[in-house]
Amino acid sequence: MSGSWTSAHRRDEYLQAARLAIDPDRVELALDLTAGIAVAEVVLSEIDLDGNGSISVAEARAYSDRVLSAIALDVDGIPLRVELVASTFPAFDSVRQGEGTARIQAVAVMPPLADGLHHLRYRNAYRADIGVYLANALVPASDRVIVAAQRRDINQRDLVIDYMLSGQPTPVARRGLSIGVGGALILIANVWWRTRTRRREDL
Amino acid sequence: MSVPFRIAMTTSLVLTVNAVATVPAQRSAPPPPGGAQGDVTARIASAAQSLLTKLDDAGRAKVQFPFEGPQKTRWSNLPSPMFERQGLRMGALTSAQRSAVKELLAVALSRDGYRKVSEIVLGDEVLRSRSSQGARDSGANPNAGRAGARGRGGPAFGEDEYYLAFLGTPSATAPWMLQFGGHHLAINLTLAGSQATMAPSLPAAQPATFTVEGRTVRPLGNENDKAFALINALNAEQRGQAILSSRVADLVLGPGQDGKTIQPEGIRASALSAAHQTMLWELVREWVGIMNDAFAEPRMTEIRAKPADTYFAWSGPTTNGSAAYFRVQGPTLVIEYAPQQGSVDHIHTIYRDPTNDYGAKFSK
Repeated sequence: MSGSWTSAHRRDEYLQAARLAIDPDRVELALDLTAGIAVAEVVLSEIDLDGNGSISVAEARAYSDRVLSAIALDVDGIPLRVELVASTFPAFDSVRQGEGTARIQAVAVMPPLADGLHHLRYRNAYRADIGVYLANALVPASDRVIVAAQRRDINQRDLVIDYMLSGQPTPVARRGLSIGVGGALILIANVWWRTRTRRREDL
Repeated sequence: MSVPFRIAMTTSLVLTVNAVATVPAQRSAPPPPGGAQGDVTARIASAAQSLLTKLDDAGRAKVQFPFEGPQKTRWSNLPSPMFERQGLRMGALTSAQRSAVKELLAVALSRDGYRKVSEIVLGDEVLRSRSSQGARDSGANPNAGRAGARGRGGPAFGEDEYYLAFLGTPSATAPWMLQFGGHHLAINLTLAGSQATMAPSLPAAQPATFTVEGRTVRPLGNENDKAFALINALNAEQRGQAILSSRVADLVLGPGQDGKTIQPEGIRASALSAAHQTMLWELVREWVGIMNDAFAEPRMTEIRAKPADTYFAWSGPTTNGSAAYFRVQGPTLVIEYAPQQGSVDHIHTIYRDPTNDYGAKFSK
């Protein structure tokens, strides 16, 4: 064992731990990032872009976006747009000492899905050179979602969650409703525009 | 004080207080029916109050926190001051005060739980001595690993760096919490009259095996050996269900992950033979049994009642001596055991009750 105090914590790995919460209409992603002390400077150089030794809100936001851009989510092969909800970053020194954890929360809206079996796929390609990964489904909060299985690659960069969805309006009905509401909105907007234009002409 | 002398002192204290711990109703006989748990809580509260009388006003102010507040979740596997703990620091106590803390822990924990906690602390003392030796060998600061060497933010190891806190007023009836922790240790014992929970708690070890005065010490050795015995007792089909296809690099529900429940994986306990189920429950007891027996026994009964909803999962090689992760998860239980960076000499574990972390049920 090393006699160095660095033996107390992660050294040359960048732990990226993901938890995915599936709801019928969305999936929430929580990602915790902990850089080991030997790779902390490398990671910090990507966060602290102005090199002033602190992590600003803008830098945290930009880094979170960069991480999320390397993450792909799809359901049944349909790509999902992953959007940042919030992030919290530890103090610069905390990251440099290899113990600070940055926490990123993101969300993706699900397309309308029929009842039955679905497959949510999560892939994390961020810093594969130094990354070690965890990826887990949370027990769904909704009783309409039941996780059937989780399938991962050996390094947990790739996770497929097989889940059952039940008890919702059929996609056809939902689509019909959407078309109806959309048509009504277009009609109202058209009437409003014509009325507004006519008033201007009257003036 | 020389390093070997400090370790010898720590060891002797462990042995002394272990003897004290055997006096009350610990292991020797099952707790009597009725108010056994309440009696134990009363004795723990009494030991806590006895300690308070030995502290000055500043010490009492340091150890006491509101029951509801940020202190409840302020625990970590990390050493101080990398993680900033609050409470009564052992290194700031007199010998008599430190003995009172150990007597309190001896009453609050089972005999085996006290042994485990003492050995985790002793392991940190060994880590401190190795850090100091490593620094001397490299020509760096020979005080590395000591409290006084924390100026540049490096960790401080050893018995002095453990902290005690009371959340709420120690009481035989009202809810309160006893916290004891430091590097690789977080004991969060919530008591409420006849009820108690130790969730969440984090027993860990580095080094995981060491020798003191010719005695080999393995703070989490039983956990390791019982798990390997179980996975190797299963047949090929059962192992196929238990073993995950991926590497698990760390605890999934470690510090800071309160209130989360991951999807269970692995083989159900109900799919195991009666003998293998017994092995699984004895593995679980290594964590549950840190608590005083009066509380551990009803907790084990609760856990054993749900074999169809309790899972055992494994990741890694199955030869004892290898670094392997395992998890036991049930409706009221999460246990994880995670070697760090593939090392069998650096182990993190976590014990949780997703329905009752910090005694959530007791205050309802």
